[in-house]
Amino acid sequence: MSGVDKFSYIRNILIAVDESENAHRAVSYVAQLLGGLEGFKVTVLHVIPQPEEDFFKTFTEKEEWCSKYQVKVDAMLEGYRQVLIRAGFHPHDVSVRSPLRYCPSMAACILAERDETEYGTLVVGRQGLSRSEEFIFGSISSKIVSHARNCTVWVVE
Amino acid sequence: MASNWLPDHRIPSRFRIHRDTTNIFRVEYDDVVVLGGKPYLIRHNAKELRFGLEDEVKFWVKRAIDLRNGSLKIMKLVFYEKFMSRIGAIEYECFRSPKKEARILDLVSGHKNFMHGYSIQDEKDNLIRILDFVRGKPLFAYVENMELGHEAYYYEQFPGILDHFFECVQAIRFLHEHGEKHGDIRRDHILIDSDKGQYRWIDFDINYRHRENIYGYDLFGLGNVLVFLVGKGDLLLPDLKKQKHPALSTLREEDVNIVFHNRVVNLKKIYPYIPEALNQVLMHFSKGANWFYENTEQLLEDLGELRNAA
Repeated sequence: MSGVDKFSYIRNILIAVDESENAHRAVSYVAQLLGGLEGFKVTVLHVIPQPEEDFFKTFTEKEEWCSKYQVKVDAMLEGYRQVLIRAGFHPHDVSVRSPLRYCPSMAACILAERDETEYGTLVVGRQGLSRSEEFIFGSISSKIVSHARNCTVWVVE
Repeated sequence: MASNWLPDHRIPSRFRIHRDTTNIFRVEYDDVVVLGGKPYLIRHNAKELRFGLEDEVKFWVKRAIDLRNGSLKIMKLVFYEKFMSRIGAIEYECFRSPKKEARILDLVSGHKNFMHGYSIQDEKDNLIRILDFVRGKPLFAYVENMELGHEAYYYEQFPGILDHFFECVQAIRFLHEHGEKHGDIRRDHILIDSDKGQYRWIDFDINYRHRENIYGYDLFGLGNVLVFLVGKGDLLLPDLKKQKHPALSTLREEDVNIVFHNRVVNLKKIYPYIPEALNQVLMHFSKGANWFYENTEQLLEDLGELRNAA
């Protein structure tokens, strides 16, 4: 057996997205690279960060915000799903997920999602933060690259 | 009861009593606010320092007297605001939250490095915070007003200040360990309690929408305060230029604050007696830094080594 044959790779791909341009690029990248190829399954993930209670005056205001946000996320994920289907993915092979999570760190939440499921590759877009922004507010993609284990990470420019 | 606290000419024929503070502008000086059966006489609005500008009146924050015992309090009424804040070119969303401050007041009850107080709802469920008045100067004023040259300050005063600041960082770690941000770490938000000399954090009602590093902005604030303390004030490039300071020619782009590019962080170039180890800590907040503190523990570790070496 050759060295290459020793490994078998899981063809499930998890794309972590938000509304940003870099997330669009990440989805387009996967669509163009793998669309029409057999055997790949893609899940488009948006972790909804549980909004801090402090942000709202009342519980009702929070509930309303969450409902509106969920509608927006559903539309966004469906949009990404269609991009992948148009590129040649079978509709059955493209799914979406939008769990609501308490997220002090979005990177940790995304990695936790990956750990719970069988994804061989995790795809994210690079945010294009300035150095000072990355230092002060942190970078999701950098943290994912540093902390991901047992999977391959693609960071799409 | 309230009349005892007012000069004769200000005693009204009838005091205005508020049990509902929803309209914060209706609560005026010499009014009485009754919360949980306890009467407070309202004095004037508090002001917040705005460096280089006229102080800003915080019309939702009142000085008050607890009429049961005459103690001075700060009463913070409910005022929600959301605003975009900027540090340098970076914008981020902030919001004022009575709930956050109330939660932290409970958390830090008895902690020597925080202001103390409690929260109570008025009859319309507005969450009012009643704070013990901290008698004392803001740390920045104490440091800036010392009539000492920098070298004398550094050797005679700074070691003690650093010990107190270390406790302040530990106090912020305590908040972070409990999932809370301070949210507005600034040099005027540490008061030196004149009773016991303790440094105490004030004002916890600001929260910000964090991105990946939940406590990054707090750490940035701690760095700014530390640089200020080591430098006995901010060292601004325009001031150094005015003075034709000899160190100017040695300063590089990477020697300034990571966000505020007119503030010098590489203080060793100005004050050569500052030890390299301390300067290295400061440089983690500089434009040239290749590594930023991710949590208070890392900063405390470095500061702890400095104190042990001193």
